[in-house]
Amino acid sequence: MRAAVILFAAAFAASPALAGENLVSGLSQDRIEIRSTYNGTEITVFGAVERPESGARPDIAVVVRGPATDMRVRHKDRVLGIWINTNREILYCMPGYFFTASNRPLADIASDAVRRQYGLGLAALMPRAAMGGHDPRPFIQAAIRAEERNKLYAEEGKGVEFLSGTLFRARVPLPASAPRGDYTADVYLLRGGRVIGKPHESRLTIDQTGTERRVYDFSRDNPLAYGLSTVAMAMAFGWLSSLAFRRME
Amino acid sequence: MEIYLPVAQMSVHWLLLLGLGGGIGFLSGLLGVGGGFLLTPLLIFAGIPPAIAVATTSSHVTASSMSGAIAQWRKGAIDLKMASVMTAGGVVGTAAGVWLFSLLRRSGQMDLVVSAAYVVLLGTIGAVMLRESLSSLRAARGGVSAESRRLRHNWIQRLPLKDRFPASRLYISVLAPVGIGFAVGLLSAVMGIGGGFLIVPAMIYGLRMPTNVVMGTSLAQIIVITATATILQSFGNHAVDAMLALFLIVGGVLGAQFGVRASSRLRGEQLRFLLALLILAVGAMLLYGLVAKPADLFSVMMGAA
Repeated sequence: MRAAVILFAAAFAASPALAGENLVSGLSQDRIEIRSTYNGTEITVFGAVERPESGARPDIAVVVRGPATDMRVRHKDRVLGIWINTNREILYCMPGYFFTASNRPLADIASDAVRRQYGLGLAALMPRAAMGGHDPRPFIQAAIRAEERNKLYAEEGKGVEFLSGTLFRARVPLPASAPRGDYTADVYLLRGGRVIGKPHESRLTIDQTGTERRVYDFSRDNPLAYGLSTVAMAMAFGWLSSLAFRRME
Repeated sequence: MEIYLPVAQMSVHWLLLLGLGGGIGFLSGLLGVGGGFLLTPLLIFAGIPPAIAVATTSSHVTASSMSGAIAQWRKGAIDLKMASVMTAGGVVGTAAGVWLFSLLRRSGQMDLVVSAAYVVLLGTIGAVMLRESLSSLRAARGGVSAESRRLRHNWIQRLPLKDRFPASRLYISVLAPVGIGFAVGLLSAVMGIGGGFLIVPAMIYGLRMPTNVVMGTSLAQIIVITATATILQSFGNHAVDAMLALFLIVGGVLGAQFGVRASSRLRGEQLRFLLALLILAVGAMLLYGLVAKPADLFSVMMGAA
């Protein structure tokens, strides 16, 4: 991995100097294939600061977002001694996976306003819209809490590691439950609490392959035949076991 | 080794799945029940989404009922006419149940309804069985036969459209088995159960079928009901995970064989006593889940319902 970082740095160091301080980044993998024994994985975001300004080291923030999804958040109340879902908010276009890493806690790097503007960190995470007629904030916080428990949302205040003055990397854990689809990894360069230049974006795809893909496609494309074959499998096993049972008797 | 479940989209250790299937299979062989009523809550406990747990359990019950029904068929202990009439009601009930299931899922009340239905059913049946088995155990110790006295007349005998069921030596209204089939089919789809623990008492105490054909007949119709539920759940709710089903079924049919062997060493009333305790324990656990304050009052569901 160290060799890859050095090669990577050499490649970018050769690019012509055109503007001021800037950054480049890439991913250790741009495609993850889910197979039968898939149990999550980890990717690494690499990057280098180009033409670093002298003086203090800049700050780096990495934001990885999974495919957008709508979330239904329900609130339980006690009704006649039983906890029942009463209020609901639908949060539109929440990321199915959200991970941020930075070289030091985001709150120390930039102001609330800057973090909200660029969507840096869990506190800056907002749905595109919310529907349900309640104050959406507690529902958004609940969604973030729930996804943190599921390990689908995380914020690592010390997740970006500088390997030299300009080279950095961040490890991004992807649990097995991370949704399939297209991911983006944006790397931000910050100095004095302001974002410098444009974020550098990389893309990643998580997809099922092989048997898993075929089973899933089958269940969606031809649900009737899928149901029939599941039943046939169940009946065949039941029949086989009764045959085996008779042998043993 | 973790196994990725393609429809549930999560990974679970394969030994956990085989163990769950095998444990439930053992109990179903031991106690003569499908075990769906235990498997569904346990799968939810293991982190499988409730919708997928309910729908996939149906296929597990199909397999274990198939295994049992073939054995009963060889003994000639199936009343095919009764099973077909019940199944007619059952298929309609199952379709209604799958529809109700997707309605509840959209409204966000599915977990509540499933849990509450379990608490009521398991509590009632567990209590009745416990009382009955305790009095049998006491009677057996006293050396007196405690054959429960059946009611002389009940409203079921007065329903119209009577027909003969020779294998069961009965002349009763077809509405009774159709109604029982419908009710069990409905519950089967919503709760992911075969319904054996409901049908068997209904056949014995409601229809007054002879005990020797009850088990086989209920198994035969459970096969059809759970197969219908599996197909409709795949079609309507995309909630059946074939990979999950495979592991549960393999564990289940193996466990069932050991269960059947173990059952020959225990007496009927002892078995019923054990089953009653088990049913009450699951019911109590689910009741606790309903009344205890949840750790987080909010719950989150991703994607379109």
